[in-house]
Amino acid sequence: MKVTLVSRSGREFIKGGLELNDSATVADLQEAIHKRTKKFYPSRQRLTLPVPSGSRERPVVLNYKKNLKDYCDGNENSLTLVFKDLGPQVSYRTLFFFEYLGPLILYPAFYYFPVYKFFGYEEKRVIHPVQTYALYYWCFHYFKRIMETFFVHRFSHATSPLSNVFRNCAYYWSFGSYIAYYVNHPLYTPVGDLQMKIGFGFGVVCQLANFYCHIILKNLRSPDGSGGYQIPRGFLFNIVTCANYTTEIYQWLGFNIATQTVAGYVFLVVATSIMTNWALAKHRRLKKLFDGKDGRPKYPRSSSAFSHCLLRDFGCLVSRRSAIACSETLVASSAGAQPLLSPRLWLPRRRSAYSIVLYC
Amino acid sequence: MASAFTVLRRLYLSVYNWIVFIGWFQVLFLALKTLKESGHEQLYNAVEKPLLLAQSAAVLEILHGLIGLVRSPVSSTLPQIGSRLYLTWGILWSFPEIRTHVLVTSLVISWAITEIIRYSFFGMKEAFGFAPSWHLWLRYSTFLVLYPTGISSEVGLIYFTLPYIKASEKYCIRMPNKWNFSFDYLYAAILALGIYVPGSPHMYRYMLGQRKRALSKSKKE
Repeated sequence: MKVTLVSRSGREFIKGGLELNDSATVADLQEAIHKRTKKFYPSRQRLTLPVPSGSRERPVVLNYKKNLKDYCDGNENSLTLVFKDLGPQVSYRTLFFFEYLGPLILYPAFYYFPVYKFFGYEEKRVIHPVQTYALYYWCFHYFKRIMETFFVHRFSHATSPLSNVFRNCAYYWSFGSYIAYYVNHPLYTPVGDLQMKIGFGFGVVCQLANFYCHIILKNLRSPDGSGGYQIPRGFLFNIVTCANYTTEIYQWLGFNIATQTVAGYVFLVVATSIMTNWALAKHRRLKKLFDGKDGRPKYPRSSSAFSHCLLRDFGCLVSRRSAIACSETLVASSAGAQPLLSPRLWLPRRRSAYSIVLYC
Repeated sequence: MASAFTVLRRLYLSVYNWIVFIGWFQVLFLALKTLKESGHEQLYNAVEKPLLLAQSAAVLEILHGLIGLVRSPVSSTLPQIGSRLYLTWGILWSFPEIRTHVLVTSLVISWAITEIIRYSFFGMKEAFGFAPSWHLWLRYSTFLVLYPTGISSEVGLIYFTLPYIKASEKYCIRMPNKWNFSFDYLYAAILALGIYVPGSPHMYRYMLGQRKRALSKSKKE
C-alpha cells in the first residue's frame, strides 16, 4: 500500500510517499521513514490520522504495534498520515538516572564538605544526629529510585524529549541543593527526639510501601514493556489509582516531620501538586480506557484519584461528598470487590488478559 | 443579548479602568509639574500617593484574570504586575535613599504614559464598546519604546539600591530559628535582576505577538 506523509502545515513530508507491504505494521512504517530521512529515528516520529480542518477533535496517534490496515478508512491501498517531529528523544531510563543523580551527589556534598565557608560561616560545626539520619534517609531514597529505574520499572516504548532532561534536572538538582543547604546548615535547629523518630519511621514505612507499589506496577507489564495500560489491583491500589504517588508524598512528609525545614515543606507542596496532576490524568485515562465495553473490564468506581486521600473512611469524616463515595465503596464491596481487611486484598494476583476480564 | 451578569461586568470594569486611569493621569501630571518646578529629586515625593494607589490597584487585575472576568492569561499579567509591585513597594517605598535617583523619573514617566493609554483603552471598550483605531495603535505601539525605557529604569533602580539593601538588613530572616528557614533580601534582589534577563525578551516578544494580532485583526474589520 502507498502511504502519503504530510506535515502539519499540509506540505508533503516525503516526496512521492512510501510504498509498504499490505500487512505492514506502524513500526515498519516508522523504520521506512527512518531509512529515508536518517534524522528521524522512530521514537522522534509522531504519526497521526489527519483531522478535518476546523475540527476540534484530538488527532488519533498511531500505535506502533498495530497494522497500517487498521487505520485505513475503507481505501485499503493508500493511507495519508500526518507527521510531526518530536525533537531529539532520550529513554526514560536516561532521564531518570540523571535527574536522580544530582540529589544523590549534591546532598552529601553539603554534609561532608566545608561548603558553608563560602556562605560566610566558620568551618567548625556540630553535627546533630538528625542531620546524619537525614543524610542516610535521603541518599537511600535516591539510591532506591535509581535502582528501581534500572531493575524494577518497566517502561513502555515511550521516550521523553531531550529538553526534559534539562528541565527535570533543574527541578531535582535545585530543590536537592535547596533542602540540603538548610538541613546541613551550621545553625540548624533539630526537632525533638520523638518527632524525629516518628518522622523517619513513618517515612521508611512509606518508602517500603512505595517499593511494593512499584513491584505491583511492574507485574502489570511484560519484560519488554509491552502490555500498555492495565488496572492496578491489590494493596493500596484498591483505594487509590496511583498508590505509588500516595506513598511517595507521605514518604516526603515523614522526612519533613523529622527535619522541619521550610525548604523541605515547599518541596513537598510542589511535588504533591505535580503528582496530583499526574494521578488525575492517569485516573481519567484508565476510567476512559476501561469503560466496560467490548469485553474490557470496567474501572472500579470505588477507586479514588486523589493520591493523598489514603483512606476513604477518613474522607467520610470530612465531607458529604466523601460520605457518598464511602457508601459507594460499601456497595461495591457487597457486589464482590474486596473488603478492606481481606488478606487477598494485600497480595497481587497473578494476571493474564483472561483473568482481568474475569475479575470484573 | 445582555444578561444582568454581562451588564454588571461591563459596569464594574468601566468604573475600575477609568478610576485607575485618573490615578495614573494624576501621576503623570504631578510628575511633569514637579520636573518643571523643582527637579527630578522631588519627583517621587510629589507622585507617591497616587502612584502607590494606582499601582497597587493592579492587583485586582490578577483576580479578574483568575475568575475569568477578563481574557488576559494570568501567566502574562502576573510577571508584569509582580515586577511593578516589587519596584513600587520593595524598592522605592522601602528604601528612601533611592528616591532622588534620576531613574525614578524615567521609570514613573514610562509607567504613567503606558498605563494612561492602556486603562483609557480598556475603559473605552468596556464603557462604549469600541475604541478608535488611533487609540488601538497607541496601545499596541508605545510599548516598543516604553518597555525598553521602563525595564532599563527598573533594572537600574534595583541595581543602585543593592548597597542600601545590604546595609539595612531589611526583610531578612536569619538562622537559627525553629523552622530552619532563612531569607536574604539582597540575594532575592540579585535573583530578581537575573529574572529580567530571560523575562524581558519574553515579555517584549509577547507584546509583539499581541501587536501583530491586534493590528491585523483591525485591518481585516
